[in-house]
Amino acid sequence: MSTPRECHSAVLSIGVAAPTLRLPVAQVAAGWGRAGGRGQVAVCGPSEDALTLAWLAARRAITAAGIPPEEIGGVWWGCTRPPFAEGPNLSFLSAALRLHPQSEAALLSGSPHAGIDALLAAADAVISGRVSTALVVASDSLLPALGSGLEAASGAGAVAVLLAAEGPASLGQVTTEWSPVLDRYRGDLETETREVYDGRLFREQVFLPLCQTVGSSLSADPSTRWSLPDPDGRLGRTLGERLGSIKVVSSAARSELGDTGAAAPLLGLAAALGEPGNLIALGFGGGRATALSIQVTSPVPGSSVVQQHLSGGREVTYTEALRCRGQLVASGETVEMAVPPGSAMFVRGSHEMLALLGARCLACATVNTPPNVHPTCIGCGAIEFEIIPLPLHGTVQTFVVNQTMPAPFVAPLPLLVLDLEDGSRISCQGASDGSDLYIGVPVELQLRRYALERGVPIYGYAALVATASDKTIERPST
Amino acid sequence: MKTPGPWNKVAVVGAGMIRFGELFDQSYEQMAAGAWRACRESVDLGLDPSQVEAMFVATQRGTLWGQEGIGGNTVPSAIGLSGVPCTRIENACPTGSDAFRVGAMAVASGVHDVVLVIGVEKMRDKSAEEGLLARAAGGHPIYTRGESAPVLFAPFATRHMHEYGTTKEMLASVAVKNHYNGARDPFAHFQNEITVDQVLAAPEVCSPLGLLDCCPQTDGAAAVLLVSAERAQEFTDSPVYVAGFGVATDHPYLHEKQDYLGLLASRLASARAYEMAGIDPKQLDCAEVHDCFTITEILDIEDLGFCEKGTGGAFSAAGETAIGGSMPVNTSGGLLAKGHPIGATGIAQIIELWWQLREQAGPRQVALKNGYALQHNVGGRGSGVSVVNILTRNAK
Repeated sequence: MSTPRECHSAVLSIGVAAPTLRLPVAQVAAGWGRAGGRGQVAVCGPSEDALTLAWLAARRAITAAGIPPEEIGGVWWGCTRPPFAEGPNLSFLSAALRLHPQSEAALLSGSPHAGIDALLAAADAVISGRVSTALVVASDSLLPALGSGLEAASGAGAVAVLLAAEGPASLGQVTTEWSPVLDRYRGDLETETREVYDGRLFREQVFLPLCQTVGSSLSADPSTRWSLPDPDGRLGRTLGERLGSIKVVSSAARSELGDTGAAAPLLGLAAALGEPGNLIALGFGGGRATALSIQVTSPVPGSSVVQQHLSGGREVTYTEALRCRGQLVASGETVEMAVPPGSAMFVRGSHEMLALLGARCLACATVNTPPNVHPTCIGCGAIEFEIIPLPLHGTVQTFVVNQTMPAPFVAPLPLLVLDLEDGSRISCQGASDGSDLYIGVPVELQLRRYALERGVPIYGYAALVATASDKTIERPST
Repeated sequence: MKTPGPWNKVAVVGAGMIRFGELFDQSYEQMAAGAWRACRESVDLGLDPSQVEAMFVATQRGTLWGQEGIGGNTVPSAIGLSGVPCTRIENACPTGSDAFRVGAMAVASGVHDVVLVIGVEKMRDKSAEEGLLARAAGGHPIYTRGESAPVLFAPFATRHMHEYGTTKEMLASVAVKNHYNGARDPFAHFQNEITVDQVLAAPEVCSPLGLLDCCPQTDGAAAVLLVSAERAQEFTDSPVYVAGFGVATDHPYLHEKQDYLGLLASRLASARAYEMAGIDPKQLDCAEVHDCFTITEILDIEDLGFCEKGTGGAFSAAGETAIGGSMPVNTSGGLLAKGHPIGATGIAQIIELWWQLREQAGPRQVALKNGYALQHNVGGRGSGVSVVNILTRNAK
């Protein structure tokens, strides 16, 4: 078939997110007694996962567009492997993004093709007129099988775009092709993704044929910039050669983060949205490939800081990466949270924790946090409140770095008291090692995983020293 | 109570404790029995156990620390007073001092004439990880996540240092002084002197506090005998009177403090106690204050009015709080050297003051001028509860 269909919608803004850790591939090779290994992959820190990355990318896209979150029609999230195999992935993400309580949501999952699936599903919602603004998020944090070739390739990252009928970049032709074959695989009882095919069999009979078919079906000229899938660090270049002398722009994100799975197609061209011209994003996974053309007429808001948001990160050893991925676990018991995830406290308090809500006293304006344990104002004793979202920026009033805690806590753990921009105060964890903290330093709050408690992820907000890009992009003057 | 003090309705006529430490060889019940025995033997003119009309047991954590039961009924049985009315008191780190206050009120009310207040705490039957450190996983799943005990006080050190120029050396001077005193206290957990350099070189526990800025986890028990002032002479020729007390609370979350330079609960509790006793801080001959961490003692001596706010570090480093200084603090070695078996801590502080006011403190004895001494604890979530008791040797 391979006849393109039209996908008339537009990109309003873009945001990306990278995890905080970088693992040199040579470290993985050395861990298994092998020489060599080029490049690096991104790894989630202990407080990061596919949901926290999705939140950060989405928040950046929303802020870059300058649209109030409650006006967004819904969120379409593509993620190979969301944090809850079954569970409240979408309601947690919607709550943390402060979307309207009746907003739409859909989770596309099961393979790295899920990011493209989310984009197309969201575009359909816009085209049909059902929503005027749709949030697309694609994120992944892959867990490669130990000792497999995937360890040298599997990265993590997230990308988000806001779609509407009109915008600085238009979605154009789309072609999809499928073939009933395996590529990467993880069964229902397996925790790690593994490869099933011989490398050459996969390349010649699975990957290249599908990708070439969809890629060559779209009209392109020599100036067209391409985002190509690159599951192993070499296939992308081979695909580019097979498609002719094309201009590939996705290698920058690929070499920074590794294979970001569902996020890869859009992440690969995120920076290119800053320059007018034609783009093609090609997504692959689960026996499917899709190519999508995008025409940029003017720089997409958020695109100018893409490179900044993807670069950096702290280099870690293979051992630390394994620990952060949960593949290296200390023996012995860990200290359980006093409040089990199944307790009523989480039913009462989950929304206010995820959306970072406070209770502002109607009498004296003191903000009481968290609301559900404050029936009476700590400022004046009044009992009537307005529930408000707390600002995600503030400065450090005081802090410590806790070095002494039982497992599952990992030191160093900064703990801070923050003065938020609206004058309210909260205590929270810090997301760095604490060495960059001082009294008065401006910080931003990010959604982080506070615990994996009895197997259930618990999310809250952690502070990071604010960067220049976050000040300009996250806080537009309008 | 509203009339100028001292209140002096209740007298302390007996006081005894066991040596604090890691008492792996003693059960909760055995520790209680040891403290009771010491208390009984301390009564100058003797005590017949049948004279004890009621008991208040101070134990903060009950079964969490691994003892067999919580003290309301196990302690009377353990010390041979089964059948006697007994109530367990829990009020965070001031558990012992609040049990003392409740006992004093029971006597002052006229309901009982002879009351035993006994504090017992097993901190080390469980491993450190399963014991006090497990606090890091307690409370609110987000807002107090990671809040082990030092996190209640270390943020105040960060801010105090920033605001007033308090230094780590000043903090260390508290640990050095209290270890010096502990080395002269046969009941202290640690009886060794340390240096400022050792404190500064110790591993970091929770910035800016290092290991020697922190009190140990200690097992212990301590007991005092309270009687109505009118009957004090039946038990001793040198009673010590309860001149006044004060209790105060504050909000439980760290982000709800007025500031990070002092503890409101301590200021409120001490103001109430001074008013009830009819004295001001200058009339104190010595004090036992809550030094769970070095910074806590700095905050205390400011909040209790021994020196101006912001000057506690210099005041301490200058030796003003040493035994020969202008305001001796924690002559027993404090929580830092004597130890902090929570329920027993406040009672043991009272005992040190009882010895001081009766001039039985040996090498730790301070010069008595006005005959008043102050005991103080502060703790709980957000350091939101404080108890202050003021004792005097002066009869009304």
